Amino acid sequence: MRAMVVKEMRQLSRDRRTLAMMIVLPLLLIVVFGYAASFNVSTIPTAVFGPDAALAAAHLPPEFSVVALDRHGDRAAAVTALRNGTAAAAVVSGPTGTAVLLDGSSLFVAEAALRDLGGAGATRSHALRVHLEILFNPKLKTSDIMVPGLAGLILLFIGTVITSLGVVRERQAGTLEQLAVMPLRPSDVFLGKIAPYFAVGILDMTVVVLAGVLLFGVPFAGSVGVFALGALLFLFVALGIGVLISSVSQSQGQAIQLAMMLLLPQVMLSGLIFPLTSMAAGVRWIGYVLPLTYFVEIARAVMVRGAPIGALWQPFVYLGALGAVVSAAATLRFRRMLAPHQGGGRRPAPRPATAP
Amino acid sequence: MIAALEQVTVRFGALVALDGVSLRAEAGTVTCVVGGDGAGKSTLLRVLCGAVGPDEGAVQRPDRGAIGFLSSGSGVYSDLSVEENLAFSAAVYGLSPAETRRRAARLLEMTGLDAAAHRLGSELSGGMRQKLGVVRAMLHGPRLLVLDEPTAGVDPVSRADLWRLIAEAAAAGTAVVLSTTYVDEAERASAVLLLEGGRALVSGTPEGIVAAVPGTVTSSDARVAEDETRSWRRGHAWLTWHPGEVPDGAPDLAAYDLVAPDLAIAVVVASLRDELVAGGSGGGPQR
Amino acid sequence: MSSDLVRASAVTYRFGALTAVDDVDVAIGPGEVVGLLGANGAGKTTLVRLLLGLLAPTAGSVVLFGEAPSKQGQRRIGYVPQSLGLYDDLTPAENLAFIRAVFGTAPPLGGAPALRSLGELAEVPVGRLPLGLQRRLGFAAALEHRPELLLLDEPTSGVSPLASARLWEMIRSATEDGAGALVTTHDMEEAEQCDRLVVMASGRTVASGSVRDIIGERRAVVVTAPDWARARDALEAAGLSSSLVGRELRVPAATVEAVRHALAEVPARLSEAPVTLEERFVELVSGPAGR
Repeated sequence: MRAMVVKEMRQLSRDRRTLAMMIVLPLLLIVVFGYAASFNVSTIPTAVFGPDAALAAAHLPPEFSVVALDRHGDRAAAVTALRNGTAAAAVVSGPTGTAVLLDGSSLFVAEAALRDLGGAGATRSHALRVHLEILFNPKLKTSDIMVPGLAGLILLFIGTVITSLGVVRERQAGTLEQLAVMPLRPSDVFLGKIAPYFAVGILDMTVVVLAGVLLFGVPFAGSVGVFALGALLFLFVALGIGVLISSVSQSQGQAIQLAMMLLLPQVMLSGLIFPLTSMAAGVRWIGYVLPLTYFVEIARAVMVRGAPIGALWQPFVYLGALGAVVSAAATLRFRRMLAPHQGGGRRPAPRPATAP
Repeated sequence: MIAALEQVTVRFGALVALDGVSLRAEAGTVTCVVGGDGAGKSTLLRVLCGAVGPDEGAVQRPDRGAIGFLSSGSGVYSDLSVEENLAFSAAVYGLSPAETRRRAARLLEMTGLDAAAHRLGSELSGGMRQKLGVVRAMLHGPRLLVLDEPTAGVDPVSRADLWRLIAEAAAAGTAVVLSTTYVDEAERASAVLLLEGGRALVSGTPEGIVAAVPGTVTSSDARVAEDETRSWRRGHAWLTWHPGEVPDGAPDLAAYDLVAPDLAIAVVVASLRDELVAGGSGGGPQR
Repeated sequence: MSSDLVRASAVTYRFGALTAVDDVDVAIGPGEVVGLLGANGAGKTTLVRLLLGLLAPTAGSVVLFGEAPSKQGQRRIGYVPQSLGLYDDLTPAENLAFIRAVFGTAPPLGGAPALRSLGELAEVPVGRLPLGLQRRLGFAAALEHRPELLLLDEPTSGVSPLASARLWEMIRSATEDGAGALVTTHDMEEAEQCDRLVVMASGRTVASGSVRDIIGERRAVVVTAPDWARARDALEAAGLSSSLVGRELRVPAATVEAVRHALAEVPARLSEAPVTLEERFVELVSGPAGR
């Protein structure tokens, strides 16, 4: 038995991907649960409007951090600010009293705001009687913000895991090489290969969104077009990543390992579960690099808040740029996989598989 | 002449996969590339059909629509049925459905695959998969048919069927080039090329190669002592190659059993000569 | 008889409705190399498993080293599967160390010869070594514990003729020391290296003996025609399958008269030659047993 143990250990020491998983996974979990996994909100970005704005601002509890002040704004301006994601809370103060509007799509921020105001209100002077209103997700339902995020998760899963499996399967079977010799253009092969996964990704996501809206009452306040555009861009990124994974994987097992290593951090750190604002700054930057983060933002903004495309230009630009880079890299690497030495690739003939 | 390689060299990084190799493929003939694992057979075939470009030397080949290629490992989709596999290939090469049906029917019947037309690739035995692979490669009537180890590990009955297919292609005027480790297959070809470590050791017709074996070959019950590496086993006996005209150490030929070389002996002698020239030990890796 | 290392007598193996091995007699004695030929599904693998004692026969008996197959008996067998039974990600030294630990054998004085001849390659994981070397290591590993019976599955597939001859040196050197070997193969060249052959089809033995015994007196008709393609078409039309050798056609399963009749319109010279082992094999296997 000892001999088996020794042998297994030796083999494990040579299996780089499994080793990476054994190290990366615990590290990731430590980082996440140590620094990122938190529902505590320490700052609430607030926009203040109305003639008495300055006064109101001064009386807000310290958690509310004023990011915009507009003496001439009114309730409509406040609603727009929240919808566009400029702030998570808006205070409109005028002759009729002070209204605090909270963005229900930022679930934990809204809950924190409620707690802070509730506590503060009890000790405030009667001059600052506050009228609280929660917009966009008035009942503060978790499902309303999870379903948009889920849409992104599905696109990511299908794009990376499923697509990479499909491409690697062809590579494993040795048929990729034959395709290179047939009268097919590399683009025919590439697009023909990922088209089904593209279609399935869109279909799956649509089903989930419809189920959310029809069965669970998740709102779809914004433009379907904007949502679709965001989904498309994100799917390009995901598919590109899937093809890149397959280009560095020799077997389906390896492809899954790599895809999971890329999927897990995104699930944890993209703001899907734990809000970005709650993460320690040292870790939050990771979230800002991950593509899922941006799609979750787009999805939530469009579905729950009905945000217009103008307010979301940042995530769109990021996804667009990332999509272009990843797609270009994926196309290049795919072409290399297909025909490695037609003009200078560096990969020798695969060992001929002995037929059983 | 349908296709040719002229002094082709292919390098993958530091590895020289092919070193100054030339080959000609004529219409209606079968050319066999023989060699062990790592000799460069796959690379040679891939250069021939255009999957790999040469670093030095020139290649002539028909265009892609007139080439049929079977990569090592059967090139059959396991999750598609026999018919679906053929349909894919036919579509890519622009065959009409009617033409596809006609050609496929004949080839499938020849190989006994017609009964398995609806079976998935994964449900076929190794021999049947290889047969399907060859049918797929020749379905569109290519002028050049390139097959990478089509008979590797295949049972002899399927092997006979595969050779029928190969003969069928040659009869139609196709230049067939295939690689193999079996010398008895090379004996059936009209041209043979022996590769080792990326270099062509001998080439020509099987008869020509046999006639050109230098020195003499003798058979004995025990290994000949002077130079162990020039002796090898065949069955119970030991064969020894003597580079000179007369066996060393004995002026009297009658003391030895002379053996008339066959292709297998010619191939071994060529490898031994190569070893002698290289001064290296047998079986050493080239990488 | 009693010196046989392993003997299967009237062995039958059935599972469900399928009879994988049907009334087969096989024996291997010390110092001999027996070749086992058969198409896929002919029952070769099942027969080997029965001889190893991994399966119990439905009928008949298997005697391994004079008694029923047992763990002790298996220890005296060296088995090299086609996949070589080596771990690709371990070096040759590590592979041998594992095997020694399992069998409880000590390394020979001065280190194993197989390892010594590797030089610096001894530190390379087996998966990255050339096939010829891998096969040699596979044998060396199986021979480590000095087995009396060798079971080799396609020992030289994929390897060059010279390397194949070198591998056969290893096999013969073991049998000359008294071991017996059973070699399963699809390679006719390799089959001719064996002392005698057993040919299986559909679970039964259809022939056994030396190559010469099996070929017997059977002959094939050799057709030399300037237009071989036309000759071939004519033969096909008459239902005679032929094989192309160079520019000649061989028709193994026919008489000269039948061929002459089929080639009435085609100018050709006919002669006869003994069938090859492969042609005889195809005839034996396709005839009564069918494909």
